[in-house]
Amino acid sequence: MSTTVTEAQTEEMTYAQAINRALAEEMRRDDRVWMMGQDIGAMGGVFGVTRGLLEEFGERRVRDTAIVETFIVGGAAGAAMTGTIPVVELQFADFLFIAGDEVLNKLAKWRYMHGGQLELPAVVRAPMGLVGGVGAEHSQCPEAMLLNAPGLKIVLPATPADAKGLLKTAIRDRNPVIFLEHKGLYRVKGEVPVDEDFTVAFGQAAVRREGNDLTIIATAMMVGRSLEAAERLALDGIDVEVVDPRTLVPFDMETIATSVEKTSKVMVVHEAPKTGGAGGEIAARIQEELFFHLDGPVVRIAGADTPIPQHPVLEQLVIPSVEAIEQAARELNAL
Amino acid sequence: MTDTDNLVLEIYRNVARIRAAELFLQTYIEEHGFGGFWHPGLGQEGLQAGAVQALRRSDYLFQAHRGLGYALSKGLSFERIFADLLGKTTGTVGGKGGGTVHFVDPALGILGQGGTLGSNFPLGVGAALSAQILGEDRVVAIFFGEGAAARGTLYEAALQAGVWKLPVVFVCENNGWAISAPFERHSPTKNVADRAAAFGFPGIVVDGQDAVAVHAAMSEAVERARGGQGPSLIEAMTLRLRGHYEGDRQRYRDDEGALDPVRSRDPVDVLRTRLDAEQYEPIDRAADEEVEAAFALALAAPDAGPEVAFKDVWAE
Repeated sequence: MSTTVTEAQTEEMTYAQAINRALAEEMRRDDRVWMMGQDIGAMGGVFGVTRGLLEEFGERRVRDTAIVETFIVGGAAGAAMTGTIPVVELQFADFLFIAGDEVLNKLAKWRYMHGGQLELPAVVRAPMGLVGGVGAEHSQCPEAMLLNAPGLKIVLPATPADAKGLLKTAIRDRNPVIFLEHKGLYRVKGEVPVDEDFTVAFGQAAVRREGNDLTIIATAMMVGRSLEAAERLALDGIDVEVVDPRTLVPFDMETIATSVEKTSKVMVVHEAPKTGGAGGEIAARIQEELFFHLDGPVVRIAGADTPIPQHPVLEQLVIPSVEAIEQAARELNAL
Repeated sequence: MTDTDNLVLEIYRNVARIRAAELFLQTYIEEHGFGGFWHPGLGQEGLQAGAVQALRRSDYLFQAHRGLGYALSKGLSFERIFADLLGKTTGTVGGKGGGTVHFVDPALGILGQGGTLGSNFPLGVGAALSAQILGEDRVVAIFFGEGAAARGTLYEAALQAGVWKLPVVFVCENNGWAISAPFERHSPTKNVADRAAAFGFPGIVVDGQDAVAVHAAMSEAVERARGGQGPSLIEAMTLRLRGHYEGDRQRYRDDEGALDPVRSRDPVDVLRTRLDAEQYEPIDRAADEEVEAAFALALAAPDAGPEVAFKDVWAE
């Protein structure tokens, strides 16, 4: 598996196009791969991610469903158990809760409950996060709620190259994968390897920026904001390392340990509400496993403990801004 | 013997085997207790055996929780069934069972069992979708009680199965009781089968105590599904003879004095009217012997060790 972008030929494309490319490549590679979801066919998805796939692969493998989230996920589980590889789309990640039993009980537990006799190689693509005025029930980042259900792999791509490489790995994985695409990143452009064998392995964090003074562990849209904060801090001589775990399950503690052993100061940044968020889990592991390397508290910068307001200006107030990340890093660095 | 005679005998063999096991387990649980809850299928053996008899080995089965009749009729051995019930490593789930377990055997088309009622509708329809995508001629049978028919999962799965004309047969075992609730208390209409009309496929009510009648209805639905004409719903009217679980004292239940004369017929007796004593008596004896021998083997098998609790989370 290759995770290096440099050695392969690349092409500039958006995060959404990179996902589309991964879907098309995997459907060409393996006839067992198919898709269903609301408006993914003729429309190409409400965010345009699946454009052109119905035309190429036909109605047998690209299926528009009714508004049936429990069926989309439960049907994917049943189809995965019987020899196909469903890659289904929930229009918004918030709808994972509509299919709660199917996600948390069926996908996560059925292999275990049945003594390993069943396999569920399904991928649920779920667009998450703020995108501008879509409100409390269309903007959530639900990764922490999935984290407490052993049996699910949880993927949070932050760049176009990762979106492609991680989705291809998800489709090839024999376990159920919840692929949390960030809606606010769909139009972000980046260089993406064109090689059809390019994949990004699960459980391998990416060091997005190297630094010696402080480690920021950030996911999804917060990776970009943390990098921006790091550039501002660099102007004042504060050298920040930014680590993107890329997958929460499996979780690459090794890369984080290497970074923390170097910097001794850590912040975790995510968009979901702070209370019960994934940051708490990451912080807990760091203090359990790396306590004597720490030179200060593990700080969490996360969403406010409120629902997301619908108002496009107000919504930005409840998730971490570049300024908030920068300020918190300054304070931690000064300790 | 005619084909019909043979069919009746084949169905009777499974009904007798299920009955023998049900009675054996009832006694065993009374005497020894059990590491979990057992939901007896006593009184529903006929419809379970009759319906599953209409399936091929390659067809998929999604069971309900009441009894072992579905899995046994689909070809699972008593030894493995009992091993599952006793939490032995020789069971289908390798020791993860105990009490009501999740019988599974993909080679026999037995695709597990849910702990959340009504969750098998989307799973079963998904399996049917898989068959359609792969161009296989498999049919999926989804068993459920009239209680689980209230779930919205039925609405979503049946709707999508109707739209795509998927090869599914929804088999409702209407035994009149959802734990403590009689059917009238949670259904505004007399039959679950009426609901099929909303999804554009047939809903058929059949005498669930007559295994041959259930087999005939099921065969027609299976043929329809295999021929690409889409799903059907069969509602087999039956009766829960025991409690929700073995040991349930059923203080909520007051139908003993007013049992429906058709629904309370014993499916074993109904089948016997089509057979001679010299035909069924050897089958009954063989069933008892098979159950006892298999149970002894299962009992002697190794118990699940602590490692069982931690494995099978991930496919490597």
